[in-house]
Amino acid sequence: MGGSAQGGHSIADYVAGYTDLGRLRGFRCPCGFTTATWVLACPRCGGRNLADVDLSGRGEVVACSVQHVPSDEFLNEVPYAYVVVDLGEGGRITGWVAGVADPADLPLGTRVHFHPSYKPGVQFVRD
Amino acid sequence: MRETWIVGAATNRFGRMAESAREAAARVALEAIDRAGLTPKDIDHTFVSNAFGMAEHQGHLGPLLNTALGIPEVPSCTIESACSSSSAGLHEAFVHVAGGFADAVLVVGAEKLSHLDTLTATSYFATGADFPFETRNGATFPGLYATLASAYRNAFPLPPETLAQVAIKNHANAALNPHAHFQKEISLETYLNSPIVASPFRLYDCCPFSDGASAIVVAAKEFVRRPTSTPLVVAASVRTGSIVDMHDRPDLWGLPASRRAGELAFRAAGLTPKEIDFLEVHDCFTIAELLALEDLGFYPRGAAGAATRDGETARKGRLPVNPSGGLKAKGHPVSATGVAQVVEVFEQMNGTAGARAVARTETALTHNVGATGGSCSVHIFRRG
Ligand SMILES: CC(C)(COP(=O)(O)OP(=O)(O)OC[C@H]1O[C@@H](n2cnc3c(N)ncnc32)[C@H](O)[C@@H]1OP(=O)(O)O)[C@@H](O)C(=O)NCCC(=O)NCCS
Repeated sequence: MGGSAQGGHSIADYVAGYTDLGRLRGFRCPCGFTTATWVLACPRCGGRNLADVDLSGRGEVVACSVQHVPSDEFLNEVPYAYVVVDLGEGGRITGWVAGVADPADLPLGTRVHFHPSYKPGVQFVRD
Repeated sequence: MRETWIVGAATNRFGRMAESAREAAARVALEAIDRAGLTPKDIDHTFVSNAFGMAEHQGHLGPLLNTALGIPEVPSCTIESACSSSSAGLHEAFVHVAGGFADAVLVVGAEKLSHLDTLTATSYFATGADFPFETRNGATFPGLYATLASAYRNAFPLPPETLAQVAIKNHANAALNPHAHFQKEISLETYLNSPIVASPFRLYDCCPFSDGASAIVVAAKEFVRRPTSTPLVVAASVRTGSIVDMHDRPDLWGLPASRRAGELAFRAAGLTPKEIDFLEVHDCFTIAELLALEDLGFYPRGAAGAATRDGETARKGRLPVNPSGGLKAKGHPVSATGVAQVVEVFEQMNGTAGARAVARTETALTHNVGATGGSCSVHIFRRG
């Protein structure tokens, strides 16, 4: 699936990427800003020369919270950890780790990687 | 720019409303107009906020409200900015009045959520985050602020039970506030016995889902010849924005939109944080009150927790923060909150805050955040 006339991949491409193709798609700006979030211009510098990239999905947990009160898509997943992951190549993405009840089981600094699954969202597992 | 005043203010009791947001909005609006010594016919424009109107199958609330007030011909529109909706409405009113486009503007926020179950309400609220890039990955509102808390505490460790102190203080204030959702104090034991919602947050770290409605009348000084109450002079009305996704921001230790709004507001008012007598800040979760105090320049990064534990931010402390009880305990009927903060300032400056009165009320600041800081409003008021 190609991008639109302006910019790179669509949000639907991003979702199809992680659900069906094992790909985590994102954007990288020459200024260094890297994100999975869909944008047409860089939110840091305003530049429009964004490269359409595949993110490694490997990195380190830098923020984490164990969820006990879910929204509807995660009704059957609690408790789980919602995480912010610092990617090795720069940039951060969010996702979740299944089966975490105690925050001590997933301390900040834990290394994780993207684990394609049939479940909702971007799922990570420990390295 | 014309000098702009808040001349009337009213709120209902937050918590559970039997009536719809539409009815409650009209009731508080009329009360605010009456208190201002004006009549609905004096209103040039209405800004109404009702971010979760979908929960009652009702949009386009403005003309319904004006019709109920007997002024159907007055223009209106709905202002949506997540949890900062009605302070965004206040800013629009300020722009209209200060710029000379209107003499008197009604700003109303109302929400009815209590008929929703926890799952539905949590799912609705999560639409205020970035749906494909945060919510779909497992974020809820408590979860988003909890991740901020985890990153903050990693960088700036807090003494144990500091977050609890925020909740205990705000519940103590709300216990004295007849408008509050929870008019009861809590003990450390109650806090520690409450269930985890999103670690590290327990139930008592979270604001509740509340119903409620609040209204203010914003008017030009030159239009209001004989105010019937002490007016609030709007010394600064600032709105800012930032990247919605917290993880795409340079750091996770505060909200960039709050930092910028604070700087701009103090500059516009020609004041410094030391000159503010009391504040109402956006404490949707306990950590948010600490972040706000640091973002707005009242404490250096990492220092608001210790100040809270020392009682500096208590109602009788050096800098009373959230004398109303805040979102935590007064309640958070999303769209009413921004205006309700101003109602609190109005009551404090008019000496009608009763048992929760703070000692000094010459200046006050209100801080209202949309979601996790994609939007922010800061207002500074002087007693007129
Ligand atoms: C914490 C939360 C999950 C609780 O869910 P809920 O649907 O309100 O819970 P319930 O209705 O089951 O309430 C259970 C009890 O706890 C009380 N309660 C609910 N929320 C409370 C809160 N935040 N603080 C203190 N008590 C609370 C209720 O009054 C009720 O007491 P009762 O049994 O004596 O009547 C929910 O309030 C929440 O998600 N809050 C955050 C809202 C939010 O994200 N706002 C946007 C911020 S930006």
